[in-house]
Amino acid sequence: MIREEKIQIPFVYAAGQAGSRFLVALRDDGRIMGSACAACGHVSVPTRSFCPACSESDLSDVELAGEGNLVSWTEIPGRGVFALINLDGADGALLHRLIDSPDKLAVGQRVRAQFAETRKAHISDLAGFVVTGAGP
Amino acid sequence: MNRAAIIGTGQTRHARRRDDLSQPELVREACTAALADAGIGQKDIDAVVIANMELFEGRALPELWVGEGAFATGKPCMKIATGGTSGTSGCIAGFHQVASGLFDIVLVVGFEKHSEGHTQTGMALTDPFWDRTVASGALGNFALSISQYMVDRGVTEEQAAKVAVKARRNAARNPYAHLQMPDITEQEVLDSKMLAHPVRMLDMCPQSDGACAIVIAAESKAKKYCDQPAWIRATATRHQQPYIGDIDHRLTSMETLRSAARSVYAAAGIRDPLKELDVAEIYEPVSYAELAWYEALGFCEDGEAGRLIEDGVTEMDGELPVNPSGGVLSTNPVGASGVIRVAEAASQIMGRAGEHQVQGAKTALATGYGVYAWADAMILGTAP
Amino acid sequence: MSETVTVTIEMEQAWRYASGTAMERFSEGLKERRIEAVSCRLCGRAYLPPRPYCGKCNIRMSSWTPVKDEGELVAWTVMQLPMLDGRTGEMREAPYGMGLILLDGADTTLNHYLAESDPAKLAIGQRVRAVWCNERRGAMDDILHFEVIR
Ligand SMILES: [Zn+2]
Ligand SMILES: [Zn+2]
Repeated sequence: MIREEKIQIPFVYAAGQAGSRFLVALRDDGRIMGSACAACGHVSVPTRSFCPACSESDLSDVELAGEGNLVSWTEIPGRGVFALINLDGADGALLHRLIDSPDKLAVGQRVRAQFAETRKAHISDLAGFVVTGAGP
Repeated sequence: MNRAAIIGTGQTRHARRRDDLSQPELVREACTAALADAGIGQKDIDAVVIANMELFEGRALPELWVGEGAFATGKPCMKIATGGTSGTSGCIAGFHQVASGLFDIVLVVGFEKHSEGHTQTGMALTDPFWDRTVASGALGNFALSISQYMVDRGVTEEQAAKVAVKARRNAARNPYAHLQMPDITEQEVLDSKMLAHPVRMLDMCPQSDGACAIVIAAESKAKKYCDQPAWIRATATRHQQPYIGDIDHRLTSMETLRSAARSVYAAAGIRDPLKELDVAEIYEPVSYAELAWYEALGFCEDGEAGRLIEDGVTEMDGELPVNPSGGVLSTNPVGASGVIRVAEAASQIMGRAGEHQVQGAKTALATGYGVYAWADAMILGTAP
Repeated sequence: MSETVTVTIEMEQAWRYASGTAMERFSEGLKERRIEAVSCRLCGRAYLPPRPYCGKCNIRMSSWTPVKDEGELVAWTVMQLPMLDGRTGEMREAPYGMGLILLDGADTTLNHYLAESDPAKLAIGQRVRAVWCNERRGAMDDILHFEVIR
């Protein structure tokens, strides 16, 4: 015997100290903020309270360029293209979406951030990334 | 088995909401405090154990998300989730890792952020073919058992109210405790809103956001870093059958806790726990449960729990102070609550419990409770 | 302190559960107002809900025994708070009575609703019987609630 049920569950997540600074900068200034580690030099994005590479907590906020390189991507039919983007000046990659879905994408292609017109301190304030040039 | 001891503890300020911190940041706050208390750095940690009930926050893989808050990056790290016993079982797992000789220093951290998810949903997701129709959370579950327990043992609402008052008055001397009600009276408890007969609002624990961490070290490291480590002398964990109706007179018999207690007393050579224990930190989500645990833990004969609270035996100035911290009745971030019991018991042994210190505490008991299906017990002492 | 941000997400969760054969036989029986327990040949306990193994003896169970739809109230409460219904995610209206019922022929108890929600009229030891729904789908809510036999 099979039983199927469906329920709604509400969640209210706290972005916390570092996450709040990231979202507020996104909303108020259209800036993408990261954190630079004094101990190992790792630059993470979004902002963190402790370094994902070495766990130390002596970090300072840095503004990152709104441009970077495409690291990898996948297209989900009906939902668009999702991509990992290595922003200039950051280590690691940010997971977001590509606004256009051009036929020919290549690793290393240059992309640029596009911000939403009305912003509410949410990751969707960053509307996505657009391809700015041909692949390398 | 090698000797192991707790050499440091740390906890967050507990509150209804900690919107100021993300889950990883909350965990980091407790872990940083525990490392500072132990006098060690993150490089000294060999492995990490995380205790949490992810269903209550609705975030998959919490050990992945909060792991870096617990200094776990690049280290062995695992999670324990067994309801209310998550925290005590996490501490016991950390103890096993050190006592086995596998690691020298293990960090155990428990956390819960009830404000982010929906705890009642988590509790309502019982067997869909059997009791989901009627299941009414921890409150309903307890209320049913309490109706039996009161008849079995003749316990009164007034005696339960005394437990509720003791917990909140003790919590007033604990700066980390969630509920701060220093002037609470028995009458206020008896006049508080009826939630589920016979359980009133002030008989129940709150829901808290919070985290707590402990550092467990092997003998050589414990002696190096700590003047008075809290030696782990015995541990036990017990499991039971799953359904609410499987265990006859659950609260009265409390087989899991009885069995776990017998096991740790035997291992630690304790014959009369009321006389030989100096302090106990027990997991009591509702006032009536503390009375039932007195009997299950052998603090008194069966049927004598009401007299024990009336005689003040378990008050701060009594023969065996129970929950000087204010207990679960004052602070309940579920995944952290078991770690808090162990951390508070350890702080008593280390002489670091501040205003709620029991002077000269040499032997302490900590327990965990997970919806009857689990119980944990641990004996800590000033000597191995 | 600087601004802190929270993000609210409403999630729809869909579950799909398999009963297993023991619970399937039991649930099919409910359509015919039939309650059956499965009993252990070693310890003799008649289990509700039916399950394939005895958790005490750790042996397989396959012997079915009939259970009456009436029994003894062994624990009760009246919930005064609206509680979430895990079947739907909706809140149940309070007050409502519920109890643990030891059905005649079973050795474990059943948690179900009580028709009575006046705490003054409930007592351990009362005899209760099931009130069945007219339309039955093979689920525990085929029983509306239990009423006290006066
Ligand atoms: Zn670093
Ligand atoms: Zn059996």
